[in-house]
Amino acid sequence: MMRALPWAYLLAAFVFIYLPVGALVLFSFQSGSLPVPPFNGPSLRWYGEILGDADLMEALRNSLFVAFGSSSVAVSLGFLAAYGLARHVLPGSVFARGLLIAPLTVSYLIVGLGLLIVLTRSGLGLSLWTAGIGHVVINLPLAFAIIYASMGAQQQNAERAARDLGANEAQVIGLITVPILLPSIAAAFFLSVTLSWDEFIISFLLTRFDVTLPVEIWSLLRSGLSPRLNAIGSLVFLISITVVLFLEILVFRRRK
Amino acid sequence: MTRMRDRITGWGFVAPALLWTIAFFVVPFVVMGAMSLATMKGRTLIWGFSFENYAELAEKAYLWRAILVSLEITLTVTVVSVLLAYPLAWIIAFRVPERWRRLALLLSILPFWTSYVVRSYAWLLVLAREGVVNKALIGLGLISEPVTLANTRFATVTGFVHFFVMLLTLTIYANLIQLSPNYRRAAMDLGANALQTFRHVILPLTLPGIVTGAFLTFVLCIGDYVTPQILGGNTELTVPQVIMVQLGRRADFPLASALAIVLMGIVTLAYLASARWLRLDRI
Amino acid sequence: MNRLQKILHSTTILTAAAGAASAQEELNALVWCDHTDPALIEPFEAAHGVKVNLREYEGTGAALALLEQSRPGDWDVLVIDGIDVFRAVEAGILAPLPTDQLPTGDFFPEVVMADNNSVDGVTYAVTEKFGYNTISYNSSKVDPVDMESLSTAWSEKYDGRISIYDYYLPVMGMAAIAKGIKTAEIGSDDLAAIGSELSTMRSHAASVAGVVAAQTALATGEVDIVVGGGEWLTAVLAEEQPELTWTIPKEGAVRWAQSIGVVAGTEKPDLALEFVKYIASPEGQARLATSSCFWGMPANAKAGEVLSDDQKAILRWDQQPDYLALTQLYPAPDADLDIEMQDLWLETLQQ
Repeated sequence: MMRALPWAYLLAAFVFIYLPVGALVLFSFQSGSLPVPPFNGPSLRWYGEILGDADLMEALRNSLFVAFGSSSVAVSLGFLAAYGLARHVLPGSVFARGLLIAPLTVSYLIVGLGLLIVLTRSGLGLSLWTAGIGHVVINLPLAFAIIYASMGAQQQNAERAARDLGANEAQVIGLITVPILLPSIAAAFFLSVTLSWDEFIISFLLTRFDVTLPVEIWSLLRSGLSPRLNAIGSLVFLISITVVLFLEILVFRRRK
Repeated sequence: MTRMRDRITGWGFVAPALLWTIAFFVVPFVVMGAMSLATMKGRTLIWGFSFENYAELAEKAYLWRAILVSLEITLTVTVVSVLLAYPLAWIIAFRVPERWRRLALLLSILPFWTSYVVRSYAWLLVLAREGVVNKALIGLGLISEPVTLANTRFATVTGFVHFFVMLLTLTIYANLIQLSPNYRRAAMDLGANALQTFRHVILPLTLPGIVTGAFLTFVLCIGDYVTPQILGGNTELTVPQVIMVQLGRRADFPLASALAIVLMGIVTLAYLASARWLRLDRI
Repeated sequence: MNRLQKILHSTTILTAAAGAASAQEELNALVWCDHTDPALIEPFEAAHGVKVNLREYEGTGAALALLEQSRPGDWDVLVIDGIDVFRAVEAGILAPLPTDQLPTGDFFPEVVMADNNSVDGVTYAVTEKFGYNTISYNSSKVDPVDMESLSTAWSEKYDGRISIYDYYLPVMGMAAIAKGIKTAEIGSDDLAAIGSELSTMRSHAASVAGVVAAQTALATGEVDIVVGGGEWLTAVLAEEQPELTWTIPKEGAVRWAQSIGVVAGTEKPDLALEFVKYIASPEGQARLATSSCFWGMPANAKAGEVLSDDQKAILRWDQQPDYLALTQLYPAPDADLDIEMQDLWLETLQQ
């Protein structure tokens, strides 16, 4: 009895975790126009509709653009800052670290609201770029923290050796530091991509005509109950877990 | 001299990230603070130094009630999520055979990657009167009439807990797996039973992980707009919902800013309360 | 700060560059969700070789603030509540329309609403769509007779079976009508009475819901009655669930009407006017009436020649004269009363 308890708990937990996903995916194959029981599928009708929906597909492209763009900036800035703080003795470095981490403790809504006020007051328009700026703000702390934590003494020795052999700072970074730290840089980058890809409130507040996928889904959600939402949700899930599994196999397995 | 140069290069590396954070985080935050002291007369914004918005928070029942509602929901979610996630992380770390461990962990956090907006919508379908849960309960003969689950605080909390159980399972697991099995063995050798080992050895060692995860849960939960908006049925409003109403219907930036500052204050208090155990730079 | 501006400016330049890459002429419209249906917009884009950029908004206050903060030329077209046109005109946001180029002569006379759409004899907007905020219900679950009176629609009998549409103006308008107060005459003194009716409504309600949440609730049996609902809520579901229907009780209900106009300062006044003319034309009207977000009656009666009989049946084309006579327009509070009403609304929700 006691031995079975953990397994029962595990099973119950998985049921809870997969309940909404299961319902979401199942009713994406609904053939009627309401995603509630009774199930009367399977049908690919709604997948056909969303793939033919120009607005949704454009939002999907926008999301990828913002996710990869903002993550590149966040990881570059985060890496440079981590390198500077880990390899150079700087006065006030505790303060700098604190400031870089600070956005992590602030709700996305507040980050978005602050930027919205500044951008509208200064007369600068809203666009995908402004949403991207917001995404860098929230992902920079994570990228910095992940890369900073992985900067240990062993790499420092390799860097020193390279410097002794006459390498300049750029060569040291490009040929030694980045390759050694590649797993954590990749981890930071893809974490950042998934967070940006799925972020809603900042994109909602800071975009105008061209919107990201979560914002487009939100307006779908506000404008009609339909298995289209299930289909697009299932599709996004499929894309995301493909990336995750790909990473799991490629990046993390290799590290072991 | 070299030290000076070293410092300059060092700051050179840190500067871009710092400037970005200052320009797009610190400056907007300061402007928002100033905005919270401004007032709206009709649709005209009047800059100034007035605490009118904060006074309104105390006067208008729907505003301070929103703060209470947010706090109640967030604390419930944080506690329930930790209580549910800890055993799950434990089972995966110590009961699941090693070769299945990574798979079990991956499986338990996979739905994390469903679209955030869609996830709440999916719960709405699950919890509906004609939804899966009610159908199952009726099928099992546990209830005869469908019960109202959607559009309640229960639904909001469920949606949140679902998300944060996954997040916390990950952070707590990472913590548990780092523990050397020697600690447990040593405690057992010294005559501690399983419960004592847990209370005096495992729990203190995993506390930083729990607190860090709980703090993240608190911050993300109290600032979330989507989940209560979709699942809560609007019968009670949280602070983010009230902020969005101010923005969407009246463009009352000063009041929205004041609410945001209050939200920040609450998060800061939570930070101070948990600072002893927090390891934010080691997430 | 200087640095900030530089960074901001360089990003705007990038954005501008990205924008310039697509040389196609663009029209920027601030609208409601029914205008985002490609079936409505694409024919116009194709006919004029332009791209129409659409942005949805929630409340008039926020839209006016957005337009006031924008640079002239940022926006070309505005869709707005008929009763709020004068506020936009006061704020200098709408440009005059040439009435001789608009088919208002073909409109249902009751919805031309010249008083609302013009100020000092100058027309600034034209009605494009209207409908009712009334009672939507599931005819297989509730007694239809009870739905014919506001005194029984949200009574004790249906405790926990009701959802309230989440927009303060129409629902407070209905509360006013239930108390015998005319929506056009609502003043500060009436708020106590309206508030008590709202409280009753709220105490029997299971949820306060936006368009989709209300549809979901009704379609899934979560609730059986939506106060503030109407054809716009159930028309989309009509095909699959014919038991979901709506009625206008004997005391009456609230009528909504949306108007469209050209934004002052637009750099494309001709194209903007073409868009308004397209929306007001029979074809545009028929597409707008059956837009995927929500259905509603077209203002132009000639749209009837384009709509199918089924569509007209769902819109209840033939009952319109009775409905128009029985309903009152949205309440149109001034800025101060508006804030009082919103506070009362939120106060009541949070009980």
